[in-house]
Amino acid sequence: MRANFIFSEVWIGLRRNLTMTLAVILTVAVGMAMLGVGLLINAQVSMMKDFWYDRVEVSVFLCHKSTAIPKCGGKGVSDPQLKALEAKLKGISGVADVIYEDQETAFKNFKATLAEDDVMSQTAKVEDMPTSFRLKLADPDSNYQPIVDAARAMPGVASVKDQREIVGSLFDMLDKLRSAALIVAGTLVVAAALLIGNTVRLSAFNRRRETGIMRLVGASNIYIQLPFVMEGVIAGLIGGVVAAVMLIMSKVFLFDGLAGYLANKTLGWDDVATSITWTMAIGVLICVLASFITLRRYLRV
Amino acid sequence: MIHFDNVTKVYANQNRPALDHVSVDVDKGEFVFLVGPSGSGKSTFLRLILKEERPNSGAIHVAGKDLARLSNFKVPHLRRRIGCVFQDFRLLPNKNVYENVAFALEVIGKPRRFIRKVVPEVIELVGLEGKAHRMPDELSGGEQQRVAMARAFVNRPMILLADEPTGNIDPATSIGIMKVLDRINRTGTTVVMATHDAAIVDSMRKRVVELEDGKIVRDQSRGVYGQAY
Repeated sequence: MRANFIFSEVWIGLRRNLTMTLAVILTVAVGMAMLGVGLLINAQVSMMKDFWYDRVEVSVFLCHKSTAIPKCGGKGVSDPQLKALEAKLKGISGVADVIYEDQETAFKNFKATLAEDDVMSQTAKVEDMPTSFRLKLADPDSNYQPIVDAARAMPGVASVKDQREIVGSLFDMLDKLRSAALIVAGTLVVAAALLIGNTVRLSAFNRRRETGIMRLVGASNIYIQLPFVMEGVIAGLIGGVVAAVMLIMSKVFLFDGLAGYLANKTLGWDDVATSITWTMAIGVLICVLASFITLRRYLRV
Repeated sequence: MIHFDNVTKVYANQNRPALDHVSVDVDKGEFVFLVGPSGSGKSTFLRLILKEERPNSGAIHVAGKDLARLSNFKVPHLRRRIGCVFQDFRLLPNKNVYENVAFALEVIGKPRRFIRKVVPEVIELVGLEGKAHRMPDELSGGEQQRVAMARAFVNRPMILLADEPTGNIDPATSIGIMKVLDRINRTGTTVVMATHDAAIVDSMRKRVVELEDGKIVRDQSRGVYGQAY
């Protein structure tokens, strides 16, 4: 196999179909970038899930004197009731730990979430704070609705807040974004495959004299087909490099910003490297497949 | 060297066979003219030898190999042992004489040192010494056909197939082409030449196989073009 012969043929082919080659490069680049963004969103979501679900609790707020919920009947929880409730909550399967938050702690946490000069923080008093049990869940990914329902039914419980509902809607939105990115990626991959097919067909037509003679003098199929496949692969690789640049930019400008709001852990460069590797591999694979399938139709050997 | 046993070839969408139960043997080193009117099956005969077409029935052996059993993977190796020359030369217009001949060796992966040695030799054999760096459009028809013959012969094939090699060339120049073919034949290469050119067939006095409507109607050693009366 003579490499310089193959490469000179490839170069001639790429130059002859310059506009088609550019179209292939751009389509592959955008398609692969979308695929990579989809993979990055995936990584980001699973990282954020790890981060949040470790912290997610079910808060069981208890009745006290000023609670306006009818179920409480204007009475606070008594100490024996409190003890019984704690034991019952601990008894629910799926609850890893039960922590009691008294009014002082609640007040401290409340003030910490507000600015110093906030009206709320200045007017609120310790006595206004609700007491609560914080339930740590054994497995935050599982369906723990029964736990929420069981806690809600207990006497002395004012309300039950499920923190996962709050982050859940965010994850739903990110999942939708990821699906959108992957659908766009899929569409562009099909477009790229068709474009590559067309480019290879043009190349095969332009060089039918050469390939005819090659066939005649007994060049092996690989020798005849490799320049065409290489054209597709090189266009795909260049597109992949452009996609990699886009992904690095999306990490710097998009994900780092997003992570600043939602998690204190950002997407690492290793995640970007993984998604670049995947997109490159898939991009080149598609190019090779599209070239081969077209060659089988248009280059009789 | 070439052995056709009861070979029939019918092209798709045609009811008349291009070759109809043809049996013929060509020995090593023979020179055979294939004559007959257009559409009599001469080109089909040559294409079957190259395994460019497959027969509908019958067996073909080339260089001791049963073509029906030859896998597609090995067809290129068969073709390396068969040289081909055509009426329309089929040279690459953007390559000069030397490059056109070298191309046949490059694409089968021969080392450059070998190419540099044998290409000038074969250019000299076909009588084009001193014209190695001319482009095809700077050559006459006869000279272009010599380049095509050099390319066909540069890998020292066992068989040379020529499909009307003098069809585009005037009679005087044709004699030169035939001399080159004769020279190639004398190196031990089997030559099969399809032609319409009665004068050439008559002057060479070689074996003549005549086809008509896909059937062999005459097979004569030291024959002439027309019917021998």
